[in-house]
Amino acid sequence: MAKVAVFSLASDYGCQVQITNADDKLLEVLGQFDLAYWQLASSGHVPEEYDVAVIEGAVTTDEHVELLKRVRATAGTVIVIGACAVTGGIPALATSGVLEDRFDVVYGEGSALAFGGRISPLPVDAIIDVDYRVPGCPIEPAEFVAVLQRALMAVSDHIPREPMCAACKIEENVCFYESGTVCMGLITRTGCGAKCVSLGRPCTGCRGIAADANLVAARAIAVSHGIAAEKFDSALSLYNSAKGVVR
Amino acid sequence: MSTLTVEHVARIEGHGTISVEVEGGVVGEIRMDIIEPTRLFESMIVGRRFDEAPLITSRICGICSPNHAVTSLKAVEAAMGIEVSERTKMLRRLLVHGSYLQNHATHLYILAAPDYVGQPNVLPLAETHPEVFHRALAIKKLGNELTTMVGGRPVHPIAAAVGGFTAEPSAHDLETFAARLHAVANDVVETVALFSTFDIPTFQTQGEMLALHDDGDYAIYDGEICALDAGWCRPVSEYRQFVDESVVGHSNAKHSTVGGRTFMVGSLPRVNLSWDRLTPAARIVASKAGFRAVSKNTFYNNLCQAIELVDAAERCAILCETLLEDTGSSAPVKYTIRAGEGTAATEAPRGTLYHSVTIGEDGVLTAGDVITPTAQNLANLEADMRAFAPTVVHLPEEEFILRVEQLVRAYDPCLSCSVH
Ligand code: SF4
Ligand code: SF4
Repeated sequence: MAKVAVFSLASDYGCQVQITNADDKLLEVLGQFDLAYWQLASSGHVPEEYDVAVIEGAVTTDEHVELLKRVRATAGTVIVIGACAVTGGIPALATSGVLEDRFDVVYGEGSALAFGGRISPLPVDAIIDVDYRVPGCPIEPAEFVAVLQRALMAVSDHIPREPMCAACKIEENVCFYESGTVCMGLITRTGCGAKCVSLGRPCTGCRGIAADANLVAARAIAVSHGIAAEKFDSALSLYNSAKGVVR
Repeated sequence: MSTLTVEHVARIEGHGTISVEVEGGVVGEIRMDIIEPTRLFESMIVGRRFDEAPLITSRICGICSPNHAVTSLKAVEAAMGIEVSERTKMLRRLLVHGSYLQNHATHLYILAAPDYVGQPNVLPLAETHPEVFHRALAIKKLGNELTTMVGGRPVHPIAAAVGGFTAEPSAHDLETFAARLHAVANDVVETVALFSTFDIPTFQTQGEMLALHDDGDYAIYDGEICALDAGWCRPVSEYRQFVDESVVGHSNAKHSTVGGRTFMVGSLPRVNLSWDRLTPAARIVASKAGFRAVSKNTFYNNLCQAIELVDAAERCAILCETLLEDTGSSAPVKYTIRAGEGTAATEAPRGTLYHSVTIGEDGVLTAGDVITPTAQNLANLEADMRAFAPTVVHLPEEEFILRVEQLVRAYDPCLSCSVH
């Protein structure tokens, strides 16, 4: 039985909560592997050996970098879950400007006391090779279970390539651009069923930029609907501002 | 002097390390190092648009994201002078109370209960106590589905926006949930009964207790902040005058004090301060379980979480039924973007949560501040550990450490919230 270990870097633990939210599927899936380490849900130490590593969170410290290298050397399979681990997500908003200045904003005078070894936030694949990705902020429990099953059976990754406007149209939503509102659906990786748009909110791009997205054309569409290119880029940066991620 | 350390304390959210020095049966220095990396949220919302603040700050915590979102929305609305409708407030209350069902059930059964039944995690419970395990999942699932019904998903709500809701649950959903919430009454009552059978240490915190308080309601969404011992109540907008935050060397999370004292927030302070505003059913169950307000035993925080489950289930059912009546619209109200400063607080499951924002004329944030429940609790938690550890130091090492961890878990600390 494959041994699975769950690790967390800088995150809000929302994706791990979503794993526990696989409720009904939880037991059924748990029966297929041996949960070797999961700090959130169980007492115990990181084992010497495990086959599959599930990693949540963005890389923000030297310690994270070291941990990732150890994990990669140990696990045959690495799965990253959630926007933070896949694209740098919200933590990567701290990429712009000078990192020390941000510490001053948060800790004021005492900022020097705060921990050292800090680096500008990065997605996991900026440090190590990744085998499977579960995008989203937060992840969809069903998608996680499906990817985990692929990993356990060594079937290759199958992350959607196309942007989500098509899914949005299937949901019969009126396009936000018609009212001059910026929406990241044009370039965001599909797979959530255009969740936000269907609930009356523009997509903010939490699933990352789709491989088949055409950013230049999308920006031009925004501009042709009276939206300044800067506004489009600002919206784009919400989940995609880690270095080397925004194209 | 030997130092016992528990690295990455399990079954809490985030990374923390406890170290306790023991010499010849005497406890020396004791600390909880918060090594969870900060994500610098207060710096990240600066330069973003006002309507992105709730989206961004809800990512402080995946467990109480509805609470961060709602508190941030209230702060933005306070800054721009936006009055939301009664129906919007009802839906937000449902979101916050729904998060109690989800959070408390998760904490009680998955994170805390294994301590009391001597297991490393919840899974063995599935085999030894299937009825308990299924009850846990049922309450948690109902909480999740309730927040999903109102917010669009269990983590990071979508439909809650500045000024109101962009989508509403259907009448059919509200009806179904009202019925399901009534039906869960037995499970939540059983939860209180179960936690009242656990053997908890006799222990008293020396700290103050703070919570929102409202004359007419069990305060979670509105009200003033009241201090139990000191006996004062003050408006939320003054929070930065009464909560003192300071940076400490061993923790990425700041520590808080009130009037020079450490203090506790969360279920126990809330139940103590708003005892007579709990639903009658919750009060009856609590009394049967042997709980007497006022209690200063930190370990009772878990029992109070269970008591709040009873209260929340009933309240949510009533909210669903009221929402079925014609109570106006929850659609976002019209507003104009303007400069201002706003503060807000709600009661997240783990305690009072403060947000404030300063917005410029162009709708872009120039400053923001967040004080989370765990950040407020940490200094008191350490003080409790110092007072409690000597009372259990005679136990075998493993059990001694387990008892200290149990105290930490009674607080249900959320370290990613605390460092944000
Ligand atoms: S841009 Fe947004 S609203 Fe328009 S079709 Fe694409 S996903 Fe839908
Ligand atoms: S619509 Fe966009 S922001 Fe919403 S869940 Fe899907 S990818 Fe994320």
